[in-house]
Amino acid sequence: MDLFLQLSANGLVLGMFYALSALGLTLVFGLMRVVNFAHGELYVVGGLIGWALTETLGLNFFVTLAIVVVVLGIAGYLIDRLLITWVRGQGEEPTILLTIGLSIFITNTALLIVGTTPQTVLSPFKSKPLFLGPVVLTQSRLFLVAICAALIVGAYLLIQRTGLGRAMRATFQDPMAAQLVGIRTAHIYGFTLALGAALAGAAGMLLGSIYVVQATIGGVVSLKAFVVVILGGMGSFPGAIVGGLILGLAEALWGGYVNTGYVDAIGFGLVIVMLLVRPYGLFGKRIERA
Amino acid sequence: MQLRKTLYGSVFIGLLAMTTAASAEDTIKIGVIQPLTGSVAYNGTTDINGSKLAADEINAKGGVLGKKIELVIEDGQCKPANSVNAAEKLIQRDKVVALSGAFCSSATLAVMPVAQNYKIPLITGVSSSAPLTEKGNQWFFRATETDALLAKSFAKILYGEIKLRKVAYIGVNDDFGRGAVSEFEKQMKDLGATTVMTEYFEHGTSDFYTLLTKLKASGADGVFVAAETQDGSIFVKQKAELGLPVKVFGVGSWATSDFIKLTGDASEGIYAAVPYASTMTTPKNKPFVEAYTGRFKEAPGKYSTAGYNAINILAQAIDRAKSTDAEKIREALTKTDYEGPNGHFQFDAKGQATGFTVVLVQLTKGSPKVVASTTVDQR
Amino acid sequence: MAFERNVLLTALVLALFAPLVLQGDYAMHIGVNIMFSVMLATSLNLIVGYIGEFPLGHTAFFGIGAYTAALLSVRAGLSFYITVPAAAVVAAVSGVLIGAVTLRLRGPFFVIVTLCFAEVLRLVANNWVDLTNGPMGLSGIAKPSLAMSGDILWQKVTFFYIGLLLAGISLFVSYRFVYSNVGRAAIAVRENRFVAQSVGIWPFYFGLVTFALAAGIGGLAGGFYAHYFSYVGPEVFGFSFMISMIIMVLAGGKGTLVGPVVGAVIVVLLEEYLRDFKELRFSIFGLIVVAIVIFLPRGLMGFITRRHETYKGPDKAIPADKAELRDA
Repeated sequence: MDLFLQLSANGLVLGMFYALSALGLTLVFGLMRVVNFAHGELYVVGGLIGWALTETLGLNFFVTLAIVVVVLGIAGYLIDRLLITWVRGQGEEPTILLTIGLSIFITNTALLIVGTTPQTVLSPFKSKPLFLGPVVLTQSRLFLVAICAALIVGAYLLIQRTGLGRAMRATFQDPMAAQLVGIRTAHIYGFTLALGAALAGAAGMLLGSIYVVQATIGGVVSLKAFVVVILGGMGSFPGAIVGGLILGLAEALWGGYVNTGYVDAIGFGLVIVMLLVRPYGLFGKRIERA
Repeated sequence: MQLRKTLYGSVFIGLLAMTTAASAEDTIKIGVIQPLTGSVAYNGTTDINGSKLAADEINAKGGVLGKKIELVIEDGQCKPANSVNAAEKLIQRDKVVALSGAFCSSATLAVMPVAQNYKIPLITGVSSSAPLTEKGNQWFFRATETDALLAKSFAKILYGEIKLRKVAYIGVNDDFGRGAVSEFEKQMKDLGATTVMTEYFEHGTSDFYTLLTKLKASGADGVFVAAETQDGSIFVKQKAELGLPVKVFGVGSWATSDFIKLTGDASEGIYAAVPYASTMTTPKNKPFVEAYTGRFKEAPGKYSTAGYNAINILAQAIDRAKSTDAEKIREALTKTDYEGPNGHFQFDAKGQATGFTVVLVQLTKGSPKVVASTTVDQR
Repeated sequence: MAFERNVLLTALVLALFAPLVLQGDYAMHIGVNIMFSVMLATSLNLIVGYIGEFPLGHTAFFGIGAYTAALLSVRAGLSFYITVPAAAVVAAVSGVLIGAVTLRLRGPFFVIVTLCFAEVLRLVANNWVDLTNGPMGLSGIAKPSLAMSGDILWQKVTFFYIGLLLAGISLFVSYRFVYSNVGRAAIAVRENRFVAQSVGIWPFYFGLVTFALAAGIGGLAGGFYAHYFSYVGPEVFGFSFMISMIIMVLAGGKGTLVGPVVGAVIVVLLEEYLRDFKELRFSIFGLIVVAIVIFLPRGLMGFITRRHETYKGPDKAIPADKAELRDA
């Protein structure tokens, strides 16, 4: 029983982290129908900036987080306005290819700049074990879960309650109508990708404080994020959370009770099953165009 | 729109037409195939650093046969197909006289037949998979330990002195991890230890909580971990986060300053078996550590030494052969008698190095303290 | 149709005489790589260009072919002449099976589910040690005795001609497929699924046939790879092969038969040229991909044929099978 509790706790914590990592992707995916294969690389860049600022410059953790969000937001905006505009409207394939090319470029340029050594982001939270009954966690993990939740709620409020969020939702329902009511859609696209990139970067920095920051891990992050997005449904906030938690729990329980070598396959297996049974995910909306 | 696109496109192509490498002088070229990109780039670059240091030292003393040594470095990415392509290019286009590489045992395995085909000597300072020297390839030399030799050397200490009886085995899911785990497990079982768990994890795993939870539940008194710096350091850190008191014994690049920096306090008390540690006290080690640290601003680790030794061994062989003829170099390699920072190197009939020292270190207060050392003899 | 056939035949003749002109083992090594890449690119192009979907997990078929050939050669000792066709057949069958699952989905879902299949296969290859030898891979795959009966140059030349033969078969089969009723039906589905259905074409069936063919050619490439490099490991399911395939089809021009050939030549030569840039090369590679997507969305062949059209003027009726060029 203890084993089960510990594994479940691990799974839930991991699930929240997956949810945050995937949130940026699901927004961009759901709102813009852009499959951003560079998502993992934006996560990596967030982590690298986080490391550079906290470790080499010694800045405060939360200040660094704010800086990462702003910098990645600007980067996302620029990527959209300078690159993705060229291929908008040509279907999903060109954006996939574009973002794949971008991800290769970012990964390798980052590798050249910061080198190959794994790093971490300095965190103000302790890593000593906290014993909650039979379950062991650390203070830093608990705090990170809280910060993740806060960021998710914050993003949700941004989309649902602010003018900008309304403009975003309008643009993606019908770009033509949105332009007719005076929304500058070109900027909106940029802001959406900015939001997605900012969330990815924030996740990269936060998780970089308990895991590791390295230029080469982008691909794995992207894959896991895709799994969460498909499971939960594109563009859905609750979907990202539920999808993340499902993935985290599934991996923890499978890895704990069966075998850890095949752990990554669980996510993919779930995706295949989900795409056969409910292609739009648990919370996705069904839209199809002729 | 179309015109603008064409304009930008032409500018881009123009920028891309960059010049290529300068012309070659009269040098002796040695090909180096290491992973420069990808997930083990971190380890591959340290090998290249060691190789470069060796080449520069040799050239400063006048080179070999009156000519300077030139390292031609290619990115094998630790992938067999890419390493083979790199080998083909080095042999055909650059006309190297010998090869050093390709880091991962699977990549080296793919390059070995190429070396044999073209009759070019191939030396590896890293690939530790035991079967490599069982292939009967006369052109292949291994200047480092095999998992089997390491296991044999230290299993006795693990069982006898550290008193491990119920052992868990954890390895990274590649040829290195699986090979190391199976060799150590075999040795420990022969001595009487019981295996309570054997698990593998994918390279790049960042969350080991599940694995560690299983470890806790298994009741092991010691865990053997075969992993590189990136994964091993996270594992050790998270083990401390979960408050697991289990003794850890690692194989891979665990005695380096980077590893200690990444793990912080969690590294205290960790054992590691390595063919090299910067705290070794052989006569050649001190100047090597100084030279390396001075140039690369960090202490050398096992891969740096691997690259350093490989180039030195090759250079000495070319010197002994008094020619750059491949067959003569190969002959000369069999007669290697080289003193490196981690001991004395000679090759046996299968191309396996013997006579050098491997150490068991315990990380104490941020430094690898040598607890035991032994020389690698015949199998 | 005539244009493509003529270009391909010219290329074939040039390739036949290439070993005489380009002396040297290394040139032959590049030649073998090109032949191998042509097969991979043609395989991917069938799905991207003629079904209109983007299988990011296409390495699944390449890997299945490679492992089939490797296993048959290493474990059962069968010869090259049996393993390679077997690889193609096994891959084609798996194409039917995987296609039956994945072709129900479209757009980004198709992309991701194919990727998932490839990743699952990679994990299986990595973990099922008893069958595949796990990460240690299968080594010592025997080269055909014909190749080994001479010096190195002879070996490479033999492999080049074998590769040329296999690539030629792949292109021939693709050509016959594309210009057949089945092929035209698949193109109709690609252009507008619903209209195609309205004239009685069942998208799923035609997609499946194309998929099986593409998978078979991919498997053929895999079998060839296994015997040339003599080593097969889980990395054959990896993303790096996928990236090369994507760029070849993209740069050459999807939806044309000549496109993949051109793309394969460009990419193999580009990878060689970029070697000189050492660590910079992947960054440059990434930029090139981005540039191609923006500036050459239809690839080189698409660009050329469009220019051809612009200068030719509107007096000649555009033939039916170049319908895709009618749009701007």
